[in-house]
Amino acid sequence: VVKKSYRKLKVAKDLTRMMSAYYAKMRIASHLQPVAWVSSGAPVEVLVALGVLPLYPENYGAILGAQRTAVPLIEEAEARGYSPDLCSYATGHLGSVFAPEKAPMKGLPRPDMLVASNNICGTVVKWYEALADHLDVPLFVLDTPYAHGAEIKDHAIQYVAAQMEAFIAWAEKQTGRRLKQKKFMRTLALSNEAVGLWREIRELCVHRPSPLNAPDLFTQMAPIVVLRGTKQCVNYYHKLKAEVEERVEGGIGAVPGERYRLLWDNIAIWPGLFRFYHLFSRAGACFVCDTYTHAWSMGLQTDHPIEGLARAYTAVYINMSLQARTRMMVDMAKRFEVDGAVLHANRSCKPYSLGQHDFRRAIMAKAGVPAMILEADMCDTRAYADGAIKTRVEAFLEMLAG
Amino acid sequence: MTDRESKPSKAMETLQEISTWPLADWPKRFPDARPFGYLNTHVPEEVLHAAGFTPVHVFGQRRAPQRAETRLPGFTCWLVRSALDTAMAGELDFLAGMAFAHTCDSAQALADIWWLAVPSVPVVTLGTPVDLYAVGAREFLIADLGLFRDQVAALAGHSVTDDDLRASIVLHNEIRRLVERLYALSDRLPSPALLAALRAGHLTPRETYCDLLANLLAALEADNDPVTPDAPRLIVVGAHLDDTSLYEAIVEAGGHVVDDLLDLGRLHYSKLADDGGDLLAALADRYLTQVPIAAKTHPVCRRDDALLDLVRARAADGVIFAPQKFCEPHGFDYVTIKNALDQADVPHLLVELEQAQVTGQMRTRLGAFVEMLS
Repeated sequence: VVKKSYRKLKVAKDLTRMMSAYYAKMRIASHLQPVAWVSSGAPVEVLVALGVLPLYPENYGAILGAQRTAVPLIEEAEARGYSPDLCSYATGHLGSVFAPEKAPMKGLPRPDMLVASNNICGTVVKWYEALADHLDVPLFVLDTPYAHGAEIKDHAIQYVAAQMEAFIAWAEKQTGRRLKQKKFMRTLALSNEAVGLWREIRELCVHRPSPLNAPDLFTQMAPIVVLRGTKQCVNYYHKLKAEVEERVEGGIGAVPGERYRLLWDNIAIWPGLFRFYHLFSRAGACFVCDTYTHAWSMGLQTDHPIEGLARAYTAVYINMSLQARTRMMVDMAKRFEVDGAVLHANRSCKPYSLGQHDFRRAIMAKAGVPAMILEADMCDTRAYADGAIKTRVEAFLEMLAG
Repeated sequence: MTDRESKPSKAMETLQEISTWPLADWPKRFPDARPFGYLNTHVPEEVLHAAGFTPVHVFGQRRAPQRAETRLPGFTCWLVRSALDTAMAGELDFLAGMAFAHTCDSAQALADIWWLAVPSVPVVTLGTPVDLYAVGAREFLIADLGLFRDQVAALAGHSVTDDDLRASIVLHNEIRRLVERLYALSDRLPSPALLAALRAGHLTPRETYCDLLANLLAALEADNDPVTPDAPRLIVVGAHLDDTSLYEAIVEAGGHVVDDLLDLGRLHYSKLADDGGDLLAALADRYLTQVPIAAKTHPVCRRDDALLDLVRARAADGVIFAPQKFCEPHGFDYVTIKNALDQADVPHLLVELEQAQVTGQMRTRLGAFVEMLS
């Protein structure tokens, strides 16, 4: 008998209902409003304010991963020449475009436009180029220069701001609509409010025991990604925050009998959302903080909305230097008082995985806790070595037990 | 084998020798030069040269990495792993610095990792637009080129003047004109020698290279017989090649490389920069009007169109894709270009390169491909 090692959130039902409704509605809504496929770091507030329905191939990829349905679709992409070494969100989603009959929900409804920003990786640019060619729809690329130094340079912000203006004009042209300032500002405010709530919810995990574990964060992040800029998103996070606060007040931990507090780095191992993370929770190890869901925590200045958007979308976590990310990670490890860190070397995501050896060193040296690098993939179960991973996790947990 | 293959000109011999010279021996070969490393083609070598440095491309080495394994995951491409490994072994300590222009996610990470792992070789970076057509791309690039020039000047210990930069642009334009002529004469040159001559341009003090190229062209122009008149004419697509082994295997298979869409080759040497007016703007304009490398995008100037134009212009019979394993930009790019070639009925072959550049299986596939074209 597997001991129950995690506590389900009461609002989880609401989330399931809301996300099911979002995906059910998308098919009907796609006949009534323009549809954009967007990368997770696209300035979606502009599109929402223009009445465009944004859909997220990356989120769809995560669903494929969590449902363990990615591999047959990845193979569809591979049959068309895509390498097995490429990002599995991209190849899984491309597979759903090539063979919708094999795809959950028959894939995403056909887009009228595509928007990609390289603030998360260069891969989305190539992925969306391929989509634009295949579907013959217009593509806007928002170029957000990577910040090698400590800070983002002013001329980089000016560059992104100039593109943001061009993006608004482009989106207006695609939709035949004018961006109304009032609606735009309201959308920005709603986006900010949701981001703020999400940040506060995550911060509540500094408490002992932590009210949330990484799999909670991974599932609860869906609205901040796909419903950012809507009232629905804000309402949901108010509800989630109330429940998380209730847990904190009642001293209720996400992992019963919390013994170890851990930091998670990189995208979730979606196919192992329960099985893999259960290896930890059953030993009383809770992932109290992570860098992945942290990526949607940057508020934007609304007094200068264009510059505010430019700055917020350039300063996303993964677009910052390894040095800046190391500082953030060490700070997180200290603030959340972690006992160790697990860094997922994700074969699909090079910008997230290259540099982890240095993160590991920094966490061990500056936060004084052990850290482990574990190679797997966010979607592709072919890259998940079950036995080897289990052995390494057990050894790591034994080490924590001292 | 023709006479030219058995008795290459003196210039060709020197270029081939430079192309195979181990990087660690570079200081012995050019003791008076001040070498400055770079990894990708968008590094503005004119700026490095104008500061008194010799830009030197850090190509991959033929040996298993050891030290880099402690800094990079196994799914990192060979170019990045090998470069870091060589640097961590101390074999690049003779470089005055290492320049990175923004290209792919892996090179971007390498610049930061290098900074931590190889403190003996300081890093300078250049931000380059990913969308060459983006609004504001030119202004951004000019501003970043200014900062790049300042970083390089700081390492040189003196400012980089406009006069120096102009002289450097004039020299590099001359090299580009000569390389264009070299491609036009590629029928008369054994394929590995063509690649060696292109590679040597990344490894030789540029004044010397310019002279060597001019000598080589004079020898080639004096003799107008093609090396292998009946061999299928091929174009190679990829980023960088660590050595000439792929081209040797192509020749062994019976093919002849007439041109390429390589970052280190045609893309590196294409387009002249204006040598008047605002010189940083001239460098930016050259960059923004080039055919993009695979990691970049341009809504109008596309790589598949550029390759099809090249296939027609060079009357090529087929295309060989030679991407590095784990390279994301070329992994996506391959499918886009392959589809365009299929539509145009241009035969093509994919040979994915790993640490060892050419394997037995690759030779067999190259043989079958060339035979099909013959």
